[in-house]
This record gives sequence, C-alpha cells and structure tokens, in this order.
Amino acid sequence: MTAPSRSRSLQGRLLLLVLALVTLVWLSAAALTWYDAQHEVDELLDGHLAQTASLLLEQERSVDVAEHEVQPDLDHEHKKRLDEAPLLHKYASKIAFQVFHEGVLVSRSGQIDATPLSQRSSGFETVLRSDGSRWRVFATPGHEGDVRILVAEQTVLRDDILWAVLRSVLKPLLFALPLLVLAIWWSVRHGLMPLRLLGQAVSERQPHTTQALALSDTPLEVQSLVQALNDLFTRITQMIESERRFTADAAHELRTPIAAIRAQLQVAMAGDDAERRHAMSYALAGCDRATHLVEQLMTLARLEATSTNHWAKLDLAALTRQVAAGLAGAALARQRTLELDAPSSAELRGNEALVGVLVRNLLDNALRYSPEGATIHVSVAELPHGAWLRVQDSGPGMSEEQMSHLGDRFFRVLGSEQPGSGLGWSIVRRIALAHGAQIRVERSAQFGGLDVSVQWPHPFTAPV
Amino acid sequence: MRILLAEDDTLLGDGLRAGLRQLGFQVDWVRDGAAAERELASGAYAAAVLDLGLPLKDGLEVLRSVRQQKISTPVLVLTARDALPDRILGLDLGADDYVIKPVDLYELGARLRALVRRAHGQPLETLQVGDVELCPASREVRLAGVLVTLATREFDLLHTLMLNAGRVMSREQIEQHLYSWGHEVESNAVEVHVHHLRRKLGPGLIQTVRGIGYTLVREPGAT
Repeated sequence: MTAPSRSRSLQGRLLLLVLALVTLVWLSAAALTWYDAQHEVDELLDGHLAQTASLLLEQERSVDVAEHEVQPDLDHEHKKRLDEAPLLHKYASKIAFQVFHEGVLVSRSGQIDATPLSQRSSGFETVLRSDGSRWRVFATPGHEGDVRILVAEQTVLRDDILWAVLRSVLKPLLFALPLLVLAIWWSVRHGLMPLRLLGQAVSERQPHTTQALALSDTPLEVQSLVQALNDLFTRITQMIESERRFTADAAHELRTPIAAIRAQLQVAMAGDDAERRHAMSYALAGCDRATHLVEQLMTLARLEATSTNHWAKLDLAALTRQVAAGLAGAALARQRTLELDAPSSAELRGNEALVGVLVRNLLDNALRYSPEGATIHVSVAELPHGAWLRVQDSGPGMSEEQMSHLGDRFFRVLGSEQPGSGLGWSIVRRIALAHGAQIRVERSAQFGGLDVSVQWPHPFTAPV
Repeated sequence: MRILLAEDDTLLGDGLRAGLRQLGFQVDWVRDGAAAERELASGAYAAAVLDLGLPLKDGLEVLRSVRQQKISTPVLVLTARDALPDRILGLDLGADDYVIKPVDLYELGARLRALVRRAHGQPLETLQVGDVELCPASREVRLAGVLVTLATREFDLLHTLMLNAGRVMSREQIEQHLYSWGHEVESNAVEVHVHHLRRKLGPGLIQTVRGIGYTLVREPGAT
C-alpha cells in the first residue's frame, strides 16, 4: 500500500509521542527532585552552620570565663591558637568562621581574610565576596551582645550535592531512552501487525471473491473496520450478482423477440404483398416487445441497486391520480373503464419514482389483461396503519396456481395474446419489498377479476 | 413435409409458421407443452420444432415423456436457453438437434430436412429411386435428368413415398403426412395425386397394393 507523502506512518507518530511524553515526565521528575533536594540540603546545611556557630559561641564564653576569672594571662596564647585554626580536611577550605569581640576580630579560620563575611548581626545571608566566591553566612551575637560570630560555607558545596542528585536521576534516562525507542518501535510494529495482515489480505483479494474476511484473530479495534469491509464486499457481490443476472436475463429474454423479428423479416422478404404487410407489422410489434422488455429489465436492475437514499414522504393519492390520468387515454382507446376512488391525500414514506413504477405496472397489467368493456377500479385509502392501494378488474382473473407464480421472473399467463415482458410483477414485488409493503392477490368479489392490494407501513414506522 | 411447431410466443410462432410454409413445409402450431405432447404422440409429423419454455408443460418434460412413449419423431429444440448444461440435457433427453434463438429460417428448414432424412436412413439430401431424383431443398424433381414440374401436393406425396421407399403406406398415413390442420381432404385426393404422378413420371414408379395402400419399389441393388 502506498500512503500519500503527507500522512506520516502511525508507527512513527506513536514513537515520537511516547518518547516525548517519557522525556517530559522524566524531566518534570528531575525538576521536582531538584527543588526538593535543594530545600532539604539548605535545611540540613543551614542547621550545621547554626550548630557550628553555637559551638563557637560556647567556646568563646568558656574562654571569657577563664580569661576573666581563672587565667587572665593565658588570653594572648589562646587568641593566637584560635587565630590560626588549621585546615583538617580539603573541603574545610569551603567552610569558614570569624569571631568578633566588641568589634575586633579575635579569631578566624585560616583561609579567610579579616573582612567581615557579613554585616548582619544575626540570621542567614548569602553574600558575594570580592574574590567572586559565593557564601552562605550565619551570624549570631553573643549572650551579652559583645561577641559576633559568623559561620559561612561556600554555596558551591550545596550546588555540587544538588548536581549529584540530579545526575543520579537523569543518568538512567540517558541509558533508557535508546532502549525505550527500540522497545516502543518493536511493540508498535507488533501491535500494528493485524493491520498489515489485513491490508495484505485485502490487496490479495480477487474481485469476484465472495467470502468474507475472517474476524476471529482480528483485534477488537480493527474488527469494526473488518466488519465494514465485509459489509462492503457483500454489497459489491450483490451488485455484481444483480448485474450478472441482468445481463443473463437481458440476453436470454431478448432472444425470443429478436428471433421473432428475424423470422418475420425473412418471411417478408420471400412473401407476397399480403404476407409482407402482415410480417412487417409483426416485426414492428416484435421491436416494441423488445423495447418494453429492455425498459422493464432496466427498471428491475435499477431497483436492485437502489438504496433508501432518496426516500421521502410522498402522497400516494396524488401519485395514483397522476398515473391513472396518464393511462386514461389508453384505457378509453381500448374501451376499458378506469375508475379512481381516492382521498385528498394518503401519505407514505418511500421513493416516489419507484412507487410510481409500482402503481403504473399494476394499472397497466389490469388494462392489458382485461377484455374490452372491462372495468378497472382503483382505490386509495389512508388506513390507521398506513397507506393502501387496491386495483380490481372485471377481467378473467387467475387460477390459484397462476397467482402463486406471479412475481416469478418472466412468468406469463398462458393464452394471453398481450405482449408482456413477464417482468411487471417481479418489479412490483421488488418495489413493495423495498418499502416493506404487503401485497395481496385474490379474486375480486365485486368485479370478478383480479383484486390486488398493496399495504404500505405507516410513514413513521417505514424502514429508513 | 408436415412439421409440428410448439412455441408460446405469438410473434415468433407466427413468423416461424409463415417462414416454414414458404419453404414448403406443412406446419401445425401449438402453444403449450400439453398440446405439443398430444400432437407428437399422434405420429403424424415428420419432425417437430420444440420451444423449451412452454406453459403447462416444459419442453424438456414433453421431450422426456414422448421418448418414454417410444415416439421417435425427430425433435429440434429451439430455445433461448443457451447454457451448456441446458444444451447437453436437451440432447440427452432425446432432442435430435438443439438450436439457440434467434435462428435463420433457411437454416431451420435445412436442419429439419436433415433430421427427416436421417430419421429415414437417407444419407443424401437428394433422394433417388430408379431414374427419378427429388431434391427437397429446391423442391425440384428430375426424371432422367430432365426437370419435371409438380404441384405442391404431388411433390409432397412423392417425397413421402420416396422417403419411405420399400414400405407400403396406407391412404390415411399419406393424408396425415400431406395435410396440416384446416385443410379439407377430399376422399379421393390421394388417388388423384397418384394418378398425376404416374402420368408425369411413368406408370411403373408407384405401385398400388390393393386394399392397403401405395409403395415405391426401390431399384434392384438399392437397399
């Protein structure tokens, strides 16, 4: 199957969508993690800063007490020791403190200069120092307010921790993405296999194949498509069958009139004047027969291909009046009485052209097969359960056996000199069937001939 | 030659009857299967043209039924049923020929003559007894090579006798073969025709078998 270039493959689309979603989810997870970790790290390390400050404060107080009460002479040495606090760990350089006593720096860690880390006397602050380093500072005053202790930590330290956390979250994604691509590609491909198989089955189908596509191993999602395809195949098969039947019927049924025309023309060619005139008029009648036959066959073929697309509400009374008016002239010329008894309107739901054909065929049959002087009585009524048409005549009628054959293709009543096609009743029956209408044929009690009635369903319950 | 035509279609039946008459056949036309079977059973026909789609009794049923009654009249089926299975079934049920409509009248005539000829064991279209030659297609008779003009009935009588050469035919049989429906047969018509034939073709050709009928003696050596 070749797809138009604009439409992307389902597989590619699914792949892209799933991957984008996975990445998005992962990134949001990473962002959340970053936010959470930052909060926790800040809390923890700020706690440490405060703890260190309180430790220094405690120490400063004990020095003060010793200085003032026990060993005032030790003051200088003590100061010196604190001044030069050693670096015990390589990360210690990222942490610093300063102790001021009454505004004078009395002690500091080694890696920091004498400039106060912060001007604050208490609380936390983040500062940027002149050397470009960024520090988190905790300041606290002594108990008597004469001491100021500043403990600081470079923020780089915190960033390192956060980056490490983030890396541990994002690293699996980097490894997983290619694997995910493969996995999704495979499962989408596998999932779409039924569609591919279906496509293959459809493309390999021969046009005359009538059997339906198997539904058993099709996934649920594709079943409606297969069902629709099968319905389509059925309709196409029916159409082909009706076309085939039309061709066969046409070929078969046209043989007799053509044979008649040919025989009559050959007689005309070899015969004398009287014979020629007779044969020619019969040949002409044969042509009329063939024409009528073709028209009826066409109607039947069209009927078989007709859907209910062109259905609408229509007025059977008006339609019957129209058809009867069209046939009144012929009835008069053939000395038949055509009577119509119809209300102002009788509604039904259907195809106007087809219902017209039905009415015309019934009336035409009654006119054709009743003798000179006969009465054809047509009545239309709107009954509670739907529109109703009745055609009675005073003709010879039919035997039970003949009535049972009505509607068989090409069945004609024996001995009727009328050149019928034998298709009129097939057409009437098919139209009635399409409309869900019931046909009843019996002997007319009132007129003695045939009594045909057609009962349509109510317009609101008619098949749509 | 008297032919039974069984065809329910008015236009075609009329055309075939008129056409076959022009070709010199005596044609009786029936329009349903029951009548066709009844008429075939009479044995009065040299051959029959049978349509299959007949009312009352289908042509194939008629065929089956008359063959079961051992009636061997040649039957040409003339039908619109052109499918191979139909053709095979028709022939197998006892049709001697199966022709699809529409058919050329002259071909139909030729086929009928061929059927009749074959039914009488005659391989050639032209019949010959002694120095009398009869050609059914052109309806010409020659005596020692010289064309002899015969009336329609005389030709038909000679044709019947020549087809049945060596067999004695009663006057009733001959009448049956000569006259289709609607023709009044005068009581001495056959005698009159025989008399004319003897005058035109020589007295020795047609022999009278007293009390039974007439016969035509094949020349010595002929079978």
